Amino acid sequence: MSRMRVTISLLVPSLVLVIALGTPAISQTPKSGGTLNITQREDLPQGFAIHETQTSSTVWPSMPCFNNLVVYDPAKKVESFDTIVGDLAEKWSWQDNYRNLVFFLRKGVKWHDGQPFTSKDVKFTFDMVREGADAPAKLRINPRKDWYANVESIETPDAHTVVFHLKRPQPSILMMLASGYTPVYAAHVPPANYRTSCVGTGPFRLKEWRKGEFVEYVRNPDYFIKGRPYLDGLKYVVIVERGTRSAALQSGAVDVSYPGETSKTQAEQLKKAVPQLVVTPVSENVNNNVIMNIKKPPFDNLKIRLAVSHAIDRRALIQAVYQGGGVIGAAMAPKPHAFWGLGDKDLTALPGYGNAAEEKARAKKMMAELGYSPEKPLKVEMVTRAIAIYVDMASFVINELKQIGIESTLKQIETAQWHAMAVRGEYQIGANLTGLGADDPDGNFYENYACGSPRNYTHYCSEQVTKMIDQQSQEIDQKKRLAMVYAIQKKLEEDAARPILSWRMDYFTHWPYVKGLVVQNNVYNFGRMQEVWRDK
Amino acid sequence: MAASPLGVPVDLVVVTAPARPGWGTTLGRFIHRKPLGAAGGAIMLVMLVTAVLAPWLQTHDPIATDATYTLGRPNAEHWLGTDHLGRDIYSRIVHGAWVSLVVGTGSTLLGSVLGGIIGLLSAYVGGKTDLITQRLLDILQGLPLLVLALVMSASLGPSIRNVIVAISIPIIPRAARVIRASVLSIREMQYIEAARALGVRHLRTAFRHILPNTVGPFIVLCTAQLGSAILVEATLSFLGMGIPEPYPSWGRMLSVSAAEYAQKAPHLVLFPGIAISLAVFGSNLLGDALRDTLDPRLRGSR
Amino acid sequence: MKSYVAQRLGIAILTLVGMSMVIFALLRLAPGDIVDILFSTAGYVNEADKQALLKELGMDRPYWVQYLDWMRQILTGDLGKSYRYDIPAWEIIRPLLPVTIELAILSIIVAVALGVPTGVISAVRQDTTLDYALRVVSLAGLSMPSFWLGMVIILGMVSWLGWIPPMTYVRPTENFKAHAIQFALPALAVGYRSSALIMRITRSSLLEVMREDYIRTAWAKGQAERVVIWHHALKNAILPVVTVIGIEFAFLIGGLVVTETVFNLPGVARFLVQAILWRDYPIVQNLVMFIAIVVILSNLFVDMLYGVLDPRVRYGS
Repeated sequence: MSRMRVTISLLVPSLVLVIALGTPAISQTPKSGGTLNITQREDLPQGFAIHETQTSSTVWPSMPCFNNLVVYDPAKKVESFDTIVGDLAEKWSWQDNYRNLVFFLRKGVKWHDGQPFTSKDVKFTFDMVREGADAPAKLRINPRKDWYANVESIETPDAHTVVFHLKRPQPSILMMLASGYTPVYAAHVPPANYRTSCVGTGPFRLKEWRKGEFVEYVRNPDYFIKGRPYLDGLKYVVIVERGTRSAALQSGAVDVSYPGETSKTQAEQLKKAVPQLVVTPVSENVNNNVIMNIKKPPFDNLKIRLAVSHAIDRRALIQAVYQGGGVIGAAMAPKPHAFWGLGDKDLTALPGYGNAAEEKARAKKMMAELGYSPEKPLKVEMVTRAIAIYVDMASFVINELKQIGIESTLKQIETAQWHAMAVRGEYQIGANLTGLGADDPDGNFYENYACGSPRNYTHYCSEQVTKMIDQQSQEIDQKKRLAMVYAIQKKLEEDAARPILSWRMDYFTHWPYVKGLVVQNNVYNFGRMQEVWRDK
Repeated sequence: MAASPLGVPVDLVVVTAPARPGWGTTLGRFIHRKPLGAAGGAIMLVMLVTAVLAPWLQTHDPIATDATYTLGRPNAEHWLGTDHLGRDIYSRIVHGAWVSLVVGTGSTLLGSVLGGIIGLLSAYVGGKTDLITQRLLDILQGLPLLVLALVMSASLGPSIRNVIVAISIPIIPRAARVIRASVLSIREMQYIEAARALGVRHLRTAFRHILPNTVGPFIVLCTAQLGSAILVEATLSFLGMGIPEPYPSWGRMLSVSAAEYAQKAPHLVLFPGIAISLAVFGSNLLGDALRDTLDPRLRGSR
Repeated sequence: MKSYVAQRLGIAILTLVGMSMVIFALLRLAPGDIVDILFSTAGYVNEADKQALLKELGMDRPYWVQYLDWMRQILTGDLGKSYRYDIPAWEIIRPLLPVTIELAILSIIVAVALGVPTGVISAVRQDTTLDYALRVVSLAGLSMPSFWLGMVIILGMVSWLGWIPPMTYVRPTENFKAHAIQFALPALAVGYRSSALIMRITRSSLLEVMREDYIRTAWAKGQAERVVIWHHALKNAILPVVTVIGIEFAFLIGGLVVTETVFNLPGVARFLVQAILWRDYPIVQNLVMFIAIVVILSNLFVDMLYGVLDPRVRYGS
């Protein structure tokens, strides 16, 4: 009898153990309720007016209020063409060989003030953003007008259908429409209102924005997806100092970090203090680069530009400035973190990516041929923004260049003057960061490398490359397009148009009871919080 | 030998004025009477020497980064550890002394001299000019030190020269006040009246007779403001509006990056702060002792 | 007495007007304006848009027109609209004021609570080891950058006590205990600095007064030392101390700016720095004027207190 008992008493726990180990982890059922405290790195510069901003400081806390036409599937980590799903559009279809894009909109969607959502709102938003001839309203600042340069007109055959007529085929336009940068505004709300408050269709309604302190949301009970959102509310807490942000996360005062603001070292510190924190290394789609004014000496000389590119040890920079929290890559973010970037194999052949000692020797030789050496250096002035991370990177670059015979003094430029100075070409060389709104070649290339683009700070202008960019934009075949994009990236590095130094990795951290938040490889796109729930 | 009425043989009767105390004795007396002040002076001296000999005292190039040893603890090679870019903290602190000293003394001297001249002239001329000048100085002084320095720094842009100017501006009214008060009290003295009565030219009177007597308060003023200037520079650098790279500044060493990595590398926070505190402490101690010695009338007041 | 007050008030107003001009001019000297920043954060510059924005903000008018407009607004109690936030400045500043005022008051309380007793002890035990020790400790307080002190306090708490103080602002109505802790640390950091000056003044004025004849008389009469000190000497020494408190208030602002930054308190001082960086002229101008008014009023108040308490003092001497 006792033997039976022993057997049973052994059997039951072992059975349980077998079941627990043997069964694949069943995904837990989301629970409703609770609020989330989320880090916000500074007070919102443009309020909730996403169309008037270029910074995640506005996009991150505003996304819960809005919906797009389409989005990147919030459950997938790497964004690509294949992960685009419908948001306000139920389905869409390309017609006339990718020249017309038809969206079939959801029915029964309401704005936060009760008004019905119709195709009129879509036409209003995008006519305004593309600054069409009969635009119903004007944005005060319109950074992404060029994204829609190819849109000929927008038609609304009925209340739930929208047609985008394009001038030429452009498959990429869907990628841009899926970005966090393209919400749909309400046609009955003046765009200026979005600078102070928010009327959207999104899963959360704005409750309060206390300037400099926090932004508070409550659940939208009329959201068009039943059962979402899971959370009752969100609170974005403004914490400006990085050290303080870490401390707040550590103590649980906030549950989620800010995308792109957690360095590898900070994550390690946090994990050591609180082992149960969940850290997700992810590419931010932000790169460090060196801008050199191609219109002015000495950097109008390709040889000097190439010398600069050869001289900078990318891998050492990643170690020094980011404590290893970064990857090397060319003009597009590299695999596996993104889709279009060159892989390691192709990279090592490009200037600056090979063996560090060899590259430096090469750079030194190139400078010597031009008559410069560390004893007789070329004196230049480097500019950078007066922000710690820029300054750190610039300090490193200065040190690298010193070794090949370029001596630079560092001039820090305040935010107020940075862009104007760069556009006017009032600099020689600079240490710069560039963030990409979408992992799409169109957005990146046109903005930063096309002749005459306002954000082409280096004033690089190559007819050949511009042609190549136009070509890839119209290419329907993904494979062919990929090959073209590879070719462009190689050419840009060989021309030292804007030597890319590294792609930053973010070590996004959150407490384990935060579930359903999939960190995507772009800081601007995953902040809707629609699928997020609390396990505690 | 001449017969002397004194009854003792005397060759010569020499009358000399009492010997003036040499520098050595003055210093010795100062050290003995004001040990705290002497300690302060010693600290300032060390700082001066460090600043001047910085290129020889450093162990590494202060702007050389080292990717292999970031946030490193103090060891035999890096006496005070390294920062987040692998730069040697000891060498940066040594060079920072030069920066703090240059900015501190530069702005103090600039502000005190300008303010002193304004105060001297204002007090000497007197009347309506004096009144108006006083009001203008009130205006400058009414704005809090840091705020004024911040706005000036933002206006002029970050560079070592501009920071010196920005910090010197708030010092001007304070210096003018002190010198003016000193001049006013001296002006009434008898011998000035006498000189005037004798027809000595105004300017001559001012610069020859009054000025030397303001030296005491002036020195006291300078040492008092020096500590304050160093602190303001540190605060400006901490807020990101001070000395830009590549000059190492103690204040900037304490800003963003230090707070970020404080838990992992507390030495980033401790050493630059100790350096600043020591420098200001030394100048305050010295200033106090000098004030007690040079101008006993001011003893016990602000 | 009335004419005294009126005269001082008149002078104060003139001074304030002068200050407004200085601040107005200084701000416009700074290169770049809000429009440049807005476009910078948007990453592009479009001349036509820029001109339209300048016009909308009223920044295309000549400077003297803008200045007069600002003066007119102040006189009507209108604090203008923030360039950055597009809403009335008062709406933004209002919730920030209580935080800064509370911190300022707490700091002054700490400063007086620390400074006066140590000053008295130091004066009474003049030139003893205790005196020297106290003077060194208090001077150390004056020498440390207040932001550093704040950082060291937080670092100490985290490293030795393993406890992180509340890092996000807690209202007193929400959780009084957390709120109290949250304000105690920065008040200590700022108060320690101010206490140094108060301690020195208390000490020196007490020393001076103690030498006075009537104090000696009181001693000779045999009253207990304590009574003598506390009743006679302190009463007269209070005057300079009050003066210093008034003046310290101006220095306090600097300490508040960095402390609010380090401890992440949403106060007016920290906001001022942000506004300067953003060239948000209306906010900066009005805040600085506000600070100036507070400083001048406190100076005036102290002066009048002097006038009331010490009849020998009169304006115009």
